[in-house]
Amino acid sequence: MEENLNKHSNISAADLDRLTKEASEEATPSSAKIIWNEFKADKPAMGALIIVIGFILFVMIAALFINTPKMMETNIMNYNAAPGSNGFLFGADTGGRSVGQQLIVGARNSIGIAIGLTLISSTFGICWGLISGYFNGYIDWGMQRVYDFMMMLPMTMMIIVLVTIIKNYNAVTLTFIFSIFYWEGTSRLIRSRTLSESEKDYVAAAKTSGTSNFKIIFKEIMPNISSLIIVDTTLSFAENIGVETGLSYLGFGLPIQTPSLGTLIANANDPNNITQYWWTWLPAAILIIILCLSISYIGQVVRRSADASQRHGITD
Amino acid sequence: MSLIEIKDLKVHYPIRSGFWNRVTDSVKAVDGISFNIEAGETYGLVGESGSGKSTTGKSVVGLEKVTSGSIMYKGKDITKKSNRNHLDYNHDVQMIFQDSLSSLNPRKRIEDIIAEPLRNFEHLSKDDEKLRVLQLLDIVGLDADALYKYPHQFSGGQRQRIGVARAVATNPKLIIADEPVSALDLSVQAQVLNFMKKIQREFGISYLFISHDLGVVRHMCNNIAIMNRGRLVEIGTRDDIYNHPLHIYTKRLLAAIPETNVSQRKAHREARLAVEQVYREQQDKYYDEHGDAYPLVQVSPTHAVALPEALAQQIVQEGEVKA
Ligand SMILES: Nc1ncnc2c1ncn2[C@@H]1O[C@H](COP(=O)(O)OP(=O)(O)OP(=O)(O)O)[C@@H](O)[C@H]1O
Ligand SMILES: [Mg+2]
Repeated sequence: MEENLNKHSNISAADLDRLTKEASEEATPSSAKIIWNEFKADKPAMGALIIVIGFILFVMIAALFINTPKMMETNIMNYNAAPGSNGFLFGADTGGRSVGQQLIVGARNSIGIAIGLTLISSTFGICWGLISGYFNGYIDWGMQRVYDFMMMLPMTMMIIVLVTIIKNYNAVTLTFIFSIFYWEGTSRLIRSRTLSESEKDYVAAAKTSGTSNFKIIFKEIMPNISSLIIVDTTLSFAENIGVETGLSYLGFGLPIQTPSLGTLIANANDPNNITQYWWTWLPAAILIIILCLSISYIGQVVRRSADASQRHGITD
Repeated sequence: MSLIEIKDLKVHYPIRSGFWNRVTDSVKAVDGISFNIEAGETYGLVGESGSGKSTTGKSVVGLEKVTSGSIMYKGKDITKKSNRNHLDYNHDVQMIFQDSLSSLNPRKRIEDIIAEPLRNFEHLSKDDEKLRVLQLLDIVGLDADALYKYPHQFSGGQRQRIGVARAVATNPKLIIADEPVSALDLSVQAQVLNFMKKIQREFGISYLFISHDLGVVRHMCNNIAIMNRGRLVEIGTRDDIYNHPLHIYTKRLLAAIPETNVSQRKAHREARLAVEQVYREQQDKYYDEHGDAYPLVQVSPTHAVALPEALAQQIVQEGEVKA
């Protein structure tokens, strides 16, 4: 082949460097750069990105300086102290505990669980969906029956039961328990896109080029559904903040001594708190709303940059 | 010995239905076809849409699960995956796809697309590989700055060239060209066909050239098989098929080639209507009671047609009288 090519093409090894350089000048920008341009072109999205990243960094670092057991000690003297009084910027709750500090530690816990849950359940769901959709046949059939079985289980009830059975659980075990039940939606979504993607000729071309199934799934098909993956992951991240918060609110999330956004919002269970002591629960509620809205806004921008025709940013 | 020998190839797709999702029926996409491809030649496979051409082509490159029959290459039956792996079969047999856009991964740069078969089969050094890709681009008439671009940045004709460059990258012995130009306009069709021929001369490649258009096939192929509903109805050299067609289906396909000469348009139209007339009246003569084509019978060393022996002889004689 080599002699053959050398005979029929004017290009030889000597031209390699020059041509490579010419080509890189004409190269199309990478996707990371495209996403960044998209954020720069959309000011509110940039704001949302800064809010989310800044806030996550802030609570992660600030929580390190807070002594949680000490913070959670009850102190009758500060019973429902109003914001600004007794040295509490955000006030104190019924137990006289600082709401501001609980917000920081609680947000750290809730976001940590949401990140862990999103990482585990999305990774698993994506792999499950990709493999199931690519090998349609017996493998797909078997994997879909497992999926159907998982969908049959009443999710919230199963989590409550598991949390009740397991005596000593903490944030990590809780994340794993949640993960068992939160990959199905992602996997179904990914599978349906993989099914249609596997029909395309570039997959056939990869097969005739001798590429292995594993590589075809993760290096050919996955990049083509990356926008779907990113959007689904950001949205489920926003959703997962709600999952932990909801269960903690009901009393089946993190143990009482561990503050979370959910336990803070649970202060609103007391009618007195709703009307008079709004500072015990309102900040946490507002925080969740802002976080979830910002995250889904970010998800939309990323999806837009993955789809060339919808871009706002100038790329070339 | 021929390069590829296809024998009684069948590809049936199961139709599942009912509560238990059991196989109740099947689509006979390819239903018992046999032909040989010689080294260095272009073999034409022609038929209307849905006749099973792509399925045949995909079976030959090993993309399709074959129901029965064999495809022999170097004395091995490559319908078995183990034999394909053993021979590094796709190093020698490659494919150009019908839809150039869908056959190029939109998320990969041209360099990675063309280098894909090289990376899997030849394991070159980074610089050698890049040089090879640049040479391939040069051969199909594209500039070096295509290297780091994505498929959507090219026109249909350019994309089909990229597909050709990928197919010839490992210097294969056979390329399945599945309607390589049917999505292109006429002037670009001619360009792509011409350099496919050029590459064939320079590298000694055989093509299995699939098309629904006998006009295009005439420029490319020495031997032609006509396919109809999963079966072959006529096999012959270019001369046999274009000048002495025997089966009514072949005659219809020939009549459907557009006439470019304006003065003969009227005569052409009449001839086409006459063929249509015969087809409607004598259909049951040319197909068996299930509407399938008959088995092929040899009427000359190169020419075979799917008709009952007696009818075939009769039509041959009629043809001779006319000529
Ligand atoms: N995966 C499949 N499952 C079921 N039926 C199929 C499948 N692929 C193809 N078929 C059927 O097999 C027949 C032949 O299809 P094929 O794609 O080989 O036709 P073709 O001759 O290439 O047509 P065209 O000129 O339109 O490309 C068609 O009737 C089609 O519906
Ligand atoms: Mg086809």
